Amino acid sequence: MTSTMSKQEVLNATLSTLRANLPELKGVLVATADGLPIAQTMSAGTDANRVAAMAATALGLGKRIGDTVGSGVLTEMSVSGTDGMVFFYAAGRGVLAVVAPAGMNLGLLMMEARDAATAVSSVL
Amino acid sequence: MTRPLKLVISGPVGAGKTTFVQTLSETEVIATEAVPSEDIGKPSTTVAFDYGTLRLEDQELHLYGTPGQDRFDFMWDVLAQDALGLVMLVGGHKPRDFPAARGILEYITARHQLPFVLAVTRQDQPGVWRPEDLALYVQLPPHQVIGIDATNRASAATALVRLLEHLPARHDQDVTLLT
Repeated sequence: MTSTMSKQEVLNATLSTLRANLPELKGVLVATADGLPIAQTMSAGTDANRVAAMAATALGLGKRIGDTVGSGVLTEMSVSGTDGMVFFYAAGRGVLAVVAPAGMNLGLLMMEARDAATAVSSVL
Repeated sequence: MTRPLKLVISGPVGAGKTTFVQTLSETEVIATEAVPSEDIGKPSTTVAFDYGTLRLEDQELHLYGTPGQDRFDFMWDVLAQDALGLVMLVGGHKPRDFPAARGILEYITARHQLPFVLAVTRQDQPGVWRPEDLALYVQLPPHQVIGIDATNRASAATALVRLLEHLPARHDQDVTLLT
């Protein structure tokens, strides 16, 4: 990312790179810490506004859980089900949500998503 | 020993929900605050819930404060699950938020049968709406609308006392759940 790119361009480029590297992802989204969507490529039929609000809720709750069990500064929070998973990454003043289908290569996902979260946090 | 009562504290942004829970809780409040990205007139906003507990009239109460923005409506629903009462807060200094309060109230009560009281905050300040005026405006019986100062423990507690008066008697509760 070059310094000539606007924040929005950096965010969009970050999400595009993530989608290109992991084409099986169902959606990725960046929201503010208080739950407003900033950039997203969610699949059709998923309400980005709702996912953005839920990402803020998940991160807020994750922070409190982390405080209670003494796990330090929150880096990520995840929800897994029989048909898929969603990972929420703390990214500066925002949150990166990554929606994945079941059976994905999690090692690769986490490596790519953490890089993306770092890129997001550089502008938020 | 009676079981703890789960109560939900809701209302629009800036009504005083977090303050209410913090003022009343006798245990450390679990709060989930984030920095707002919109101008909402305060430095933090609740994104999941506030949780606090207290004993009142020999009854243990668990308070769950909700977020205020519509985008968090799923949390209103989650927190109202199995609750036994609702305190709706509205800022007496923000009449423009009354319709939002009505919207939240209708959202919750349409999904969960909950006794509720409406509490108008900031009664310590001049020029704010008084409970009797709000009761007329929203067409609720006067005893269901109460004026409080959410920063004052005795004042805030009056909303809970009023709500407890509206709850079915405790010994009826198990019967109610079975029917």
